[in-house]
Amino acid sequence: MSRDILIIGGGIAGIQAALDLADMGLMVHLVEKLPSIGGKMAQLDKTFPTNDCAI
Amino acid sequence: MLDAGRHPNIHLLAYSQVEELKGEVGNFTVRVRMKARYVDENKCTGCGTCAEKCPTPVLDAYNRNLAHRRAIYKYFAQGIPSVYTIDTEHCRQFQGKKCGVCAKVCQAEAVDFEQQDRILDLNVGAVIAATGYDLFDASRIPEYGYGKFPNVMAAIEFERLLSAGGPTAGHVVRPSDLQAEEACRSLDKQILKLSRSLDSLEKKYGMSSKDFLDRPADVKPDPQDDLVRWSELYKEHQDLVIARDALKEKVEHSHADKLAFVQCVGSRDFRFNAYCSGWCCMHSIKEAIIAKEHNPETQSYIFGMDIRAVGKGFEEYKIRGGKDSEITYIRGRVAEITETEDHQPVIWYEDTRERKVKHLPVDLVILATACEPSKGTRELAEILGVELDAYGFIKSDPSHPVDTSVPGIFTCGCAQSPIDIPESVAQASSAAARAAEAVLSRKAAA
Amino acid sequence: MSNSEAKPRIGVFVCCCGSNIAGYVDVPAVAKYARTLPNVVLVQENLYTCSEGGINEIKNAIVEQQLNRVVVASCTPRTHEPLFRNSCKEAGLNPYLFEMVNIRDQCSWVHMKEREKGTEKAKDLIRMGVAKAAMLTPLDSVELGVTHSALVIGGGIAGMSAAESLAGMGYPVILVEKQRRLGGLLNQLHKIYPGARDPRALLEEHVDRVTKDARITVITDAEVQSVDGYIGNFNVGVSSDGRTRLYEVGALVVATGATVRQPPDGVYEYDGRRVITQIQLERRLSEGIDPAPRNVVMVQCVGARVRERPYCSRICCQIAIKNALEIRRLFPDTHVSILYRDLQMYGVANEEMLRKAKEAGVRFMYYDVDRPPEVENEHVKISHQLLGKELDLPADLVILSTPLVANEDAPRLSGLLRVPLDANNFFLEGHVKLKPLDFASEGIYLCGSARYPANLAESIAQGLGAASRAATLLSKEHLYTSGITASVNPESCVGCLGCVQTCPFQAISFDPEQGVCKVNPVLCKGCGTCAATCPSQSIQLMGFTPKQLYAQIDQVLADD
Repeated sequence: MSRDILIIGGGIAGIQAALDLADMGLMVHLVEKLPSIGGKMAQLDKTFPTNDCAI
Repeated sequence: MLDAGRHPNIHLLAYSQVEELKGEVGNFTVRVRMKARYVDENKCTGCGTCAEKCPTPVLDAYNRNLAHRRAIYKYFAQGIPSVYTIDTEHCRQFQGKKCGVCAKVCQAEAVDFEQQDRILDLNVGAVIAATGYDLFDASRIPEYGYGKFPNVMAAIEFERLLSAGGPTAGHVVRPSDLQAEEACRSLDKQILKLSRSLDSLEKKYGMSSKDFLDRPADVKPDPQDDLVRWSELYKEHQDLVIARDALKEKVEHSHADKLAFVQCVGSRDFRFNAYCSGWCCMHSIKEAIIAKEHNPETQSYIFGMDIRAVGKGFEEYKIRGGKDSEITYIRGRVAEITETEDHQPVIWYEDTRERKVKHLPVDLVILATACEPSKGTRELAEILGVELDAYGFIKSDPSHPVDTSVPGIFTCGCAQSPIDIPESVAQASSAAARAAEAVLSRKAAA
Repeated sequence: MSNSEAKPRIGVFVCCCGSNIAGYVDVPAVAKYARTLPNVVLVQENLYTCSEGGINEIKNAIVEQQLNRVVVASCTPRTHEPLFRNSCKEAGLNPYLFEMVNIRDQCSWVHMKEREKGTEKAKDLIRMGVAKAAMLTPLDSVELGVTHSALVIGGGIAGMSAAESLAGMGYPVILVEKQRRLGGLLNQLHKIYPGARDPRALLEEHVDRVTKDARITVITDAEVQSVDGYIGNFNVGVSSDGRTRLYEVGALVVATGATVRQPPDGVYEYDGRRVITQIQLERRLSEGIDPAPRNVVMVQCVGARVRERPYCSRICCQIAIKNALEIRRLFPDTHVSILYRDLQMYGVANEEMLRKAKEAGVRFMYYDVDRPPEVENEHVKISHQLLGKELDLPADLVILSTPLVANEDAPRLSGLLRVPLDANNFFLEGHVKLKPLDFASEGIYLCGSARYPANLAESIAQGLGAASRAATLLSKEHLYTSGITASVNPESCVGCLGCVQTCPFQAISFDPEQGVCKVNPVLCKGCGTCAATCPSQSIQLMGFTPKQLYAQIDQVLADD
């Protein structure tokens, strides 16, 4: 039995889920196939509708 | 990203993949392969000296092949973890040639050519599949000219052009001009080489090339071959300079002011993906607004069927974009894109509001390509045992929007269906709630 | 930190923010200028100061250069101030010896066409920030306990989903519903799609779960009357059955939904009989329509995407098409036409439903916003753009798709909770993109149509999401408040009570024994209203003291 959680995918969705669970005190294993996390959002310049930078 | 990298409860396994999953909710065993970076994560400081000295350029996927990176690289500058990786497909050392420069210059001694993949076995109570999306390959629509015409690009490529950290530092430059600039650089190299040869001849005879070619009859070249060679070199040099200057002139007068955004490329299309890709309408509007910020001369035309601005603040953003950023919304699907000389794309379309078939020459075409389930979703679904829907997205039911067909395995984001960032962020919390419930209620019961 | 009493050693980090700042302001010139400022011992430029690289540079500099003040000139404090403060803390520096200068929102973003002036302004702003930084003093936080339970306001599908999820994670939940029944708008639906499913079954499932779960206390016919306290420690007064009871909870979830707008009589000939809304149609379909209508015409965007109400209500196209499919299913001889401006069938499931509707013979006609359809006695006139002519569509039943609008009592609730509403009176989340289910105020979360029109799947997902957000709070044993709170100097305070009266958070009280005012640092939100009120500057906001502010003002007025 385990309370750990595996998250497959380190894009914005995976990261947000990981942060929520980690903030709840649960251990999260975040697996990402690329050399770094960030996913497609890291390739964006600014995001709608606020035009904040994607990073 | 930074928060995820720093959180004590998050065990970050980047450059890794899930290979096997067994068990059931509350007690899954998972096998994860941590691929060898050939760099010791614990020693690497992310300083970048290795990449600076690496002799091998590789097309940069992060910049959508608009730029180059090195064989030892970071996926992008702000990437977490801040560690370098060797791309063995291109690295000289791994391709059997001698190199090892990175290892030599690394002050942290982090490069390790002998590193092996590591296998990690984990025991978890719940799983969340958040594998995101990949983009439709627009070359599957030959009538749009993607891959043929340099100035027809995919929206994600245009995004890289707009980015300050991108290949053009945020300047909107047409790919044909980027190619021309590249050609100029190559010509410059050749011209330099020729200049050096000409210089040595000039030194030998103590006169300029021009003077030599106008020389009086009694000045004899020695040996005779010099004459022929010198003339040939000089002519070649002249030709190259003229060609380079012409290219430069063209690039200088070239502009990327008139932009055409083509919506539903590969989506709402029975040939490819029948579904709507959800966020591309807003994405194009955003790119048009940003392009205008970078270049006040920009005028954008967005060709779509329905312009789906359905999220909070989106309709207002769309209208503001129309007014302040000179976006014209044209209701009509693009039939074909052709090209004139100078790589000027021409859009052929039906304007349904005016009931006319028209064409519009523009400077740059941006194809809003559809969001598809990311490559590898099918394999992952098999490993996890989850069902996919007809389009390859991870299947879920509207009354249990983040549950998959396997208890204890949840999904969120674009892996589940094409959704935008606010929705992905909200859904991620939804999946977290379900996962937390799965492990906590079990513990409470057990 | 002993080094805070020493001479200030200020490190200034100027961010390019990609091109957000560097594209419009001469960052190297600004950095060069910063080096000339008093007490500045280090200046660095970063592409993204908030990145790991940037953070490490700050932390290393604090240690290596013995910085005792840090100034970051970048975006708005609302994005990364907590991150920067934490980074200082991790490097051993009191997090309140940190000052953020906004040269993005307040400079580069508003002076995009004035590079020189924008650059000069950035220099001025940094000069002010540096002057203030020199005067900062270390501040402390207060440790708080957390009540490990939640209260959900609104028992519709979103609220129920949130309650179930929190209970599933082990937290007691109070679920407050204004109506007699749980279920909200779901009670009024005839069918849910895909699959022409009965909403009653879904409703019963959820109502069953929340009423049977020992951890969930359902109170119907109830209203929230008062909300006191703060994150982790709320006291909510709920009235029901003629009594008001107080509940102590740690987190609140707003799931109050929205209301279907009824058009004023006459708009599109609305009469509630022949010309009705979609929600009225749902009821009629449930009751059974006899005789069957022959020609149904639906008009989209009635009172939406117009000047008075510019937003798109997101779900009306889905609802119209669902009902059109229902009508075609029940009455195969009935013609259904949908007149639209854009068919907002976003995503996978909706587009499929659109396709099915076309296959089922529903007709779709585009109309221009400037030439809306006209409803007449037996017809609906439409200026058909594609055919280029006016059509008279026979219509014995006309359905108007009206938007969801914010509940009438949203302002009341927003006042009680002290959370903001947007221009359309929907609750305003902390950040439209990255914090869609949080409020800027901590401890309160948001889901469902109270935030923005949401369909069934979205409401459920958001309810779950809000539960997760609340759980990140409820799972903690302790919280730490901000150090930016007000403080009274008892020597000079005369007890005039000006601050007590102006404090919007009731954080200040009068101590009759000492004859002076006192601030409760836990309730204090650091707004500064008290400091602005006090005639003797006895109450001051730490981190924004008069001395610090005057230092900034002096810098603005100084010659370069």
